[in-house]
Amino acid sequence: MSTDLLAVSGASKHFLGLRAVDDVSLRVRKGEIVSIIGPNGAGKTTFFNLLTGQLAPTSGEVRLRGELINKLAPHDRARLGMGRTFQIAKPLIALNALENVMIGAFMRHRALSTARDKAMVVLEKVGLAHQARVRAGDLTLSERRRLEVARALALEPEIVLLDEVMAGLNQSEVGQAIELLQGLHAEGLTFLIIEHNLKVVRAFSDRVVVLDRGRLIAEGTADQILNSPEVVKAYLGDGHQAVELGAL
Amino acid sequence: MNKTEQPNLKTSATGGAGSAADTGIESGTRTLLKYLGGMALAFLPFVLLVEDAHWLNIIAFTYLMGGLAAAWNIIGGFGGQFSLGHGVFFGIGAYLAARLYVSYDLSPWITIIPCALFAALVAVLISWPTFRLRGPFFAIATLAFNEVAFVIANHFESVTGGPRGLMIPFKASLANMIFRERWQYALLMFVFAAIVIGITVVLRRSRLGYYLLAVREDEDAARASGINVLSVKLQGMALSAGLTAVGGTLFAMYLRFIDPPTIFNLQEVGVKFALLSLIGGVGTVAGPLLGAALIIPFENFLRAELANALPGMNLAILGLLMVLAALFMKRGVVGAWRDLMLRLRPKKGGEK
Repeated sequence: MSTDLLAVSGASKHFLGLRAVDDVSLRVRKGEIVSIIGPNGAGKTTFFNLLTGQLAPTSGEVRLRGELINKLAPHDRARLGMGRTFQIAKPLIALNALENVMIGAFMRHRALSTARDKAMVVLEKVGLAHQARVRAGDLTLSERRRLEVARALALEPEIVLLDEVMAGLNQSEVGQAIELLQGLHAEGLTFLIIEHNLKVVRAFSDRVVVLDRGRLIAEGTADQILNSPEVVKAYLGDGHQAVELGAL
Repeated sequence: MNKTEQPNLKTSATGGAGSAADTGIESGTRTLLKYLGGMALAFLPFVLLVEDAHWLNIIAFTYLMGGLAAAWNIIGGFGGQFSLGHGVFFGIGAYLAARLYVSYDLSPWITIIPCALFAALVAVLISWPTFRLRGPFFAIATLAFNEVAFVIANHFESVTGGPRGLMIPFKASLANMIFRERWQYALLMFVFAAIVIGITVVLRRSRLGYYLLAVREDEDAARASGINVLSVKLQGMALSAGLTAVGGTLFAMYLRFIDPPTIFNLQEVGVKFALLSLIGGVGTVAGPLLGAALIIPFENFLRAELANALPGMNLAILGLLMVLAALFMKRGVVGAWRDLMLRLRPKKGGEK
């Protein structure tokens, strides 16, 4: 129990009749990288929102470091050490890149100068220092994704939830992003990621879980999962058992 | 893999504070110098026209409205909560201080801060439920508060004097905040504007200031960044309402007669604060005062020149001007100025 940084048990979210997330249990140990994959509409982002407090679960428990956080608001969960990015990046477009990251840094550093210095360190870490003074609205898509990660890192979190940070990036940008995340992981950060890019999943995950129609249908290492007939079926339907997902 | 996201290429058409020219975060000294320089510039008309009673009246009112617009700008501009109900707080400052002075002989100098605190408390109480609403729905709800305040002021004659109004007897003395000379009032209003804008300058560089901007830009992103959105909105509203009440007290002591149609007049009070900020540059430090400096004298000019010849013409021209400003200067005078500066220095790009 104590080694679980994040523990979810029996989490469900129903929207009227729709079971968007249905009785999902998941444990993430400190220092682990866990990927969530699954077809569109499987409930991945809804599941994320249950963890971050954007949505309240219909039933089930979410624990961070053993502490029940079900009823906590998103900002309280951030304070407890949970950072997140959004599937559609949410840069604060009127602020510059540095100020965007300062918004995160202010949580633990009240003074402007400290927050600014901390934010600058994070910007350097994600490779955006040279763009510090550029308005977030003027950044490229890949830079916005980095900015989103930077704002989460500025919270000095223990676990970061990444919702498709690679989507829309080109090959070399994906390579750089993996490098960045691996560097952060080496520093001891725990990651829970939603990722469509299975190459990323294979390169980067300690463990993979598969959601389909709100249910957790498989859990294992990347190799086990990407070769599992059940997972292939969830992605492609019947009759494709021979295909290996990793080849896609 | 197949999900793409439309890169948001909007640049100068949207946004407000902290945009364009002043990308970096300037040093505290530089900010202080800019503030002092700006206030010195704002003081210049007072020095030049101190002999002219007609102009002094306009100048005093410009400072007052500039300060009030700057107070509105804290929650309306930085926080992005478009309140049209600030007349409520303005009215609390005006009526409460006036009544305490008239009936209990309490100097406005003593009561002005408690009145402001009371207005801040009222602001928190009525905003708490209202902040669940977003965008135009919030604006409409605040509009309703203004109307409710109007009805209450008409009804509770013991405090407000009801429809007959509340007259403050002329007993000129510094202790009573009642002055014989126009320039004394103008100076008082200038100090008010300078204080409000000074607070804005400090706020813009503080955590609360940044949090208000974050809330305006994206509430979900703000929450994920550890920001208690409701609390930040309430803090911004309380500060804004308190300063608005101070302006209300000054207004009452200047006019020495207040009644509900004057205090809760939407065009002249509740909406005016927002309007001046929009014209000058919403969410900027200098915008509200700049808006007041442009609109208040111009309004007076139009009223003097046109109201007799063609009744209503002054309002029509003013309205037209505002439509044009809304169409072509979306970020107000300050925004237009920054765009111009960027165009004149096109090579500079993002690097500094």
